[in-house]
Amino acid sequence: MANKSADNIKLGLLVTAGVFILVVSLYLIGKNQSLFGSTFHLRARFTNVNGLMAGNNIRYSGIQAGTVNKITIINDTSIEVDLLIEDEMKPFIKKNALVSIGNEGLMGNKVINITPSRFPADPVDEGELLMTKTQMITDDMLSTLSNTNDNVEVISGNLITTVNRINESKALWRILNDTTLSDGLRISMHNLQIATENINEMSVSLLAVIKDAKAGNGAAGAIIANDTVARNLKAAVANINAASKESVEVLAKLDSIASVTHRSIENGNGVVHALLKDPAMVKSVNTSLNNVEKGTAAFEESMQALKNNFLFRGYFRKLEKRKSRARKSTTDTTHK
Amino acid sequence: MKLPVNLSDFLREAGSLSLFVSRFVTELFHPRQEWRQFVRQCFVIGVQSFALIGITGFIMGLVLTMQLRPSLMSYGVEAQLPVMVGLAIVREIGPVITALIFAGKISSGIGAELGSMKVTEQIDAMEVSGTNPFRYLVVTRVLATTVMLPILTVLSDAISLYGSYLGVNIKGHTSLTLFFFQVFQTLTYSDVLPAMIKTLFFGFAIGIIGCYKGYNSQKGTEGVGKSANAAVVISSLLIFIIDLITVQITDLLGLN
Repeated sequence: MANKSADNIKLGLLVTAGVFILVVSLYLIGKNQSLFGSTFHLRARFTNVNGLMAGNNIRYSGIQAGTVNKITIINDTSIEVDLLIEDEMKPFIKKNALVSIGNEGLMGNKVINITPSRFPADPVDEGELLMTKTQMITDDMLSTLSNTNDNVEVISGNLITTVNRINESKALWRILNDTTLSDGLRISMHNLQIATENINEMSVSLLAVIKDAKAGNGAAGAIIANDTVARNLKAAVANINAASKESVEVLAKLDSIASVTHRSIENGNGVVHALLKDPAMVKSVNTSLNNVEKGTAAFEESMQALKNNFLFRGYFRKLEKRKSRARKSTTDTTHK
Repeated sequence: MKLPVNLSDFLREAGSLSLFVSRFVTELFHPRQEWRQFVRQCFVIGVQSFALIGITGFIMGLVLTMQLRPSLMSYGVEAQLPVMVGLAIVREIGPVITALIFAGKISSGIGAELGSMKVTEQIDAMEVSGTNPFRYLVVTRVLATTVMLPILTVLSDAISLYGSYLGVNIKGHTSLTLFFFQVFQTLTYSDVLPAMIKTLFFGFAIGIIGCYKGYNSQKGTEGVGKSANAAVVISSLLIFIIDLITVQITDLLGLN
């Protein structure tokens, strides 16, 4: 009898434990699905729920807040999701909160995320329709990744072509294998450095000149800063313009004279033609010049004879003395 | 038309089993039941099987976790180990493994016990003494297996999950609270209730096959062994067939 009682106790213990575990499990599962405790409803409308199902979790700022109660298709572009939210979350969810569909991890179940807004608003009411936002889903990410892969494929293909062309280029390899090229390049770089330094110095100098000019120093400064100089320069330029105009007129006249002269020479008219092209005239001029030369020599003899004549000798001596005195005074002035 | 021997045997067995089940149903609703014997059978079937089923469940949970870990690690979802193991144990492995162990121990035991009673004409003696042997021997045992297997399955699931928790902590670290939180966060009624309902059918099949084979045992002590063996084989096969039908029904109902 005692054995039987002990057996019954053991049986009772086993059954009680089994039933207890089953009931606790069912309660925990029901609690996770918001079947127990007080809840309220919210609504959100999406164009695509991306496989969201009734029973999926709802998170408010990452905290478990409820489960998806029902998904109803309203029309071809709108699907309404009924959200079952625990009552204790009600004061925290505001009317301007945003609802989105996300994933629990990369490969996990779909989940509804309610994100609070930064701006203040009243707490939600029962059955409130919340605003939604579309999040990037795995399909979109994979699509983007696929495009990226395609681009990478094209780029790598181009890269292979480029590398092959480089490998096949004899000229490039000759350049690369040329050991003197590096020395030349180094020297060129050195020269370039020097040239750059010179340019720097030049620019500094130029800057100083520009500063001086702006300050009104130097010729350029005077031109830029001084109004009087500028006006004078303007007047000078105007005069040059006028002179150039006059010179143009003079040149035109000279040109007409030259053309007239040229025509008269060509036609055999006038004095110039006679001087340049008439042989009889040339001969006559030569004869005249010989006669002048002879006359000059005879005059020189006559003058020597006058100098030696006792009547004019005194006059010429006076002239000599006057010239030597003038020469002496000039020399003294130079020494002083 | 003469049917092949195996097929005709099969149909004969099927018809005989159907009659046996109908008699069970008839006797089940009889106002006078052997409740003391029922409790006794619950103890024998339930309590005395608990240790075996508990150890099996623990090892299953541990081994399943350790086997799943490398696969999940290769996908970078090691953190989902409790979820995967929890779903596998609660939905399929727990009920089926428990039922198979239960069939191996209980169905053969019932077949051998009733078979030996049959061949030693104890059942006939009971009829002579005015006791309904079917109600006393069959109804109590079938009811006991039908009731006790779901309870044993729940306990086995719990022990398996604890084994899984230890398995997770062999190469990683997670708290017991977090482990069970992750398991229960994924589970839904559509995971638990079909599994529990099918264990009722598993228990019924194990009990009825064991009783049928034992109750119809023949050919002396040799027949007892054959009855026990046939009871295990047929009940194990029936477990898988019921499992297949259950998964089809739950799929049709949209519970998967």
